Amino acid sequence: MNPFQTYDARILEVKELTPREKLFTLRFVDPEINKEFTYKPGQFVIVDIRGFGEFPISLCSSPTRTGYFQLCVRRVGRMTKYMHTLKEGDIIGIRGPYGNGFPMEEMEGSNLLLVAGGLGMAPLRSVLWYALDSGKYEQIYLFYGTKSYEDILFRDEIIHLLKHGEAMNCRVKLAYEVESPSCIYLEKGFAPKVCKGVVTDLFRGEEFDVENTYALICGPPVMYKFVIKELLDRKLSPGRIYMTLERRMRCGIGKCGHCIVGTSTSIKYICKDGPVFTYWEALSTRGLI
Amino acid sequence: MIILRYVKLPSENFEEFFNSLKRWGTVYAPVKQGNIYAFKRVDTLGEVSLNYTRTMLPPKKFFVRPKDTLLKLKNGRWEEIREVKKIVLFGVHSCDIHGLQILDKVYLNDPVDPYYKARRENTIIIGISCMPDEYCFCKSLGTHFAMHGFDLFLHELPDGWLVRVGSVKGHEIAWVNESLFEDVTEEDLKHFKEFEEKRSASFKKHLNKEGLADMLDLAFDSPVWKRYERICLGCGNCNMVCPTCRCYEVCDYWINAYEAVRVRRYDSCFMETHGLVAGGHNFRPTRLDRFRHRYYCKSYFDPSAGFNCVGCGRCDEFCPAKIEHVKVLDEVREALK
Ligand SMILES: Cc1cc2nc3c(=O)[nH]c(=O)nc-3n(C[C@H](O)[C@H](O)[C@H](O)COP(=O)(O)OP(=O)(O)OC[C@H]3O[C@@H](n4cnc5c(N)ncnc54)[C@H](O)[C@@H]3O)c2cc1C
Ligand code: SF4
Ligand code: SF4
Ligand code: FES
Repeated sequence: MNPFQTYDARILEVKELTPREKLFTLRFVDPEINKEFTYKPGQFVIVDIRGFGEFPISLCSSPTRTGYFQLCVRRVGRMTKYMHTLKEGDIIGIRGPYGNGFPMEEMEGSNLLLVAGGLGMAPLRSVLWYALDSGKYEQIYLFYGTKSYEDILFRDEIIHLLKHGEAMNCRVKLAYEVESPSCIYLEKGFAPKVCKGVVTDLFRGEEFDVENTYALICGPPVMYKFVIKELLDRKLSPGRIYMTLERRMRCGIGKCGHCIVGTSTSIKYICKDGPVFTYWEALSTRGLI
Repeated sequence: MIILRYVKLPSENFEEFFNSLKRWGTVYAPVKQGNIYAFKRVDTLGEVSLNYTRTMLPPKKFFVRPKDTLLKLKNGRWEEIREVKKIVLFGVHSCDIHGLQILDKVYLNDPVDPYYKARRENTIIIGISCMPDEYCFCKSLGTHFAMHGFDLFLHELPDGWLVRVGSVKGHEIAWVNESLFEDVTEEDLKHFKEFEEKRSASFKKHLNKEGLADMLDLAFDSPVWKRYERICLGCGNCNMVCPTCRCYEVCDYWINAYEAVRVRRYDSCFMETHGLVAGGHNFRPTRLDRFRHRYYCKSYFDPSAGFNCVGCGRCDEFCPAKIEHVKVLDEVREALK
């Protein structure tokens, strides 16, 4: 079997989440592959626009919902721009899933604190759905930092959880940076769960049972340091802080060398040793964050 | 005669032995080209530079090619491109054999790279002994002697070659040529030992590996990196010629209106784009970051693959800024005190 071969997947639906991000719902054309395709929250696939190139995208749906999978793609450059022109019924190539994913089993019975910044919401949505569907976790927190109201990914779902989350042991909090009538409306309706500020502001007034909580972080590179500081201040162990990281990736399977990080004492491949790492691993591998 | 692990190939049979290799595949060997050496296709022994120092590109070029077409797009689907030729690599030095074993750990690890695997399986490797020049430091890394990873290994004797048989295939090659070989005598062993001792004493460059991993890690902010940032041209030559560097880029292009190919080609961590992601964020934005990254990558001891540098000296010989690998590491260590 050639690991570079990609498999036909049909686009079932395209939904515009924001002016920059689209949600693609896909299914493999071959029913056999469809059946075999299982994944863990935090894993990613390589999307192949045959004849143009490949790029890695996190799975943002949950394996608890079978028969399809979803990718949330931000339009940033050449290939993602092309992807955004695709329509329902179009076929693209997919290989994967790759990476380690979050240790969902190990975390069963604990509280999950999901901290998302911007596009980091995509892989964490997979965790969120998984946790809600499986019901195997205590309290679920989602702290989500977004630029503006228009940038909120999966807005319907987020607002639904702001309204009804507590009944499902899920507490959602939202921080926005750019003020707008819609944000003020949200803030009025859901204060103090919605506020102006950055994601770390959402920690104010929150206490966690650190012995029984895992934090899962995904966001832009600058976000990690600040969020981790909040968590360490509350004495959450570096082994209970999980982060999913991004690098330039060409192969996704440990061959092309682009995602190599570290020094003489520890080298990691983000694609195959990650993309999920604990903060402890970041402490022992320089350059990880 | 029963071929054992060691046999002798007398000088007078050498050419005949060499000619016989063609039956196992196209023979490639080090050939002098101007003032460098390169592995080239050869027909006669006369073309081969038996006492070459090092080729510019290591034998990795046969397995991970500088430019390699992987897939071809036909009717919207990728078809695998895989023509494999049988080849014999004649005259490979021990450091390069070690280099290939490090590549094996990457490309043959799960998931196996089928292109690399097919080429490896269709290649016969015939090693040859060498004398170090001013650039070699393989002895410090234990890569000056190959125990595995070859089919036959030829050690120079005054009147021929002591041949080590390293694989079943090597055994078959020797067997077919049975009449060309002799038993190894006490005298030959003495000569072999003398050669190895002389060689061992000829190394001028040594890498102090003692605690190197930790020292380098501690020296993350060393001023030495800063100094070299200004000397290094960022050309990436050192990556291209290194037997263990294997970063590659992938690109698709159209060969005509209907057919596209997916090609991979060597990339270098000295290129600014190596750590660049969409949105303009660069994980190694400065030349210092990139220079240091290469030293860290080379000086990492992978528990499963070993040290990532085999001490071949190519990066020194082909660096236009005359940067010396060992000297950099020594200076970083020195500055820590
Ligand atoms: C593990 C992982 C998960 C990701 N998940 C998502 C996701 O869920 N949603 C999303 O929108 N984006 C995600 N990305 C980022 C996405 O891969 C890039 O935005 C995309 O590759 C940009 O390609 P482009 O051609 O549009 O951009 P250009 O800027 O034109 O890219 C030029 C080239 O650089 C490469 N490149 C650029 N940025 C990246 C990058 N971040 N990672 C790898 N290669 C890159 C591309 O392959 C491309 O060929 C993820 C990246 C990684 C590594
Ligand atoms: S780093 Fe330099 S000396 Fe070491 S294997 Fe690579 S080219 Fe040879
Ligand atoms: S070959 Fe020399 S100058 Fe060129 S990138 Fe390497 S160290 Fe720098
Ligand atoms: S993406 Fe190629 S090695 Fe990790």
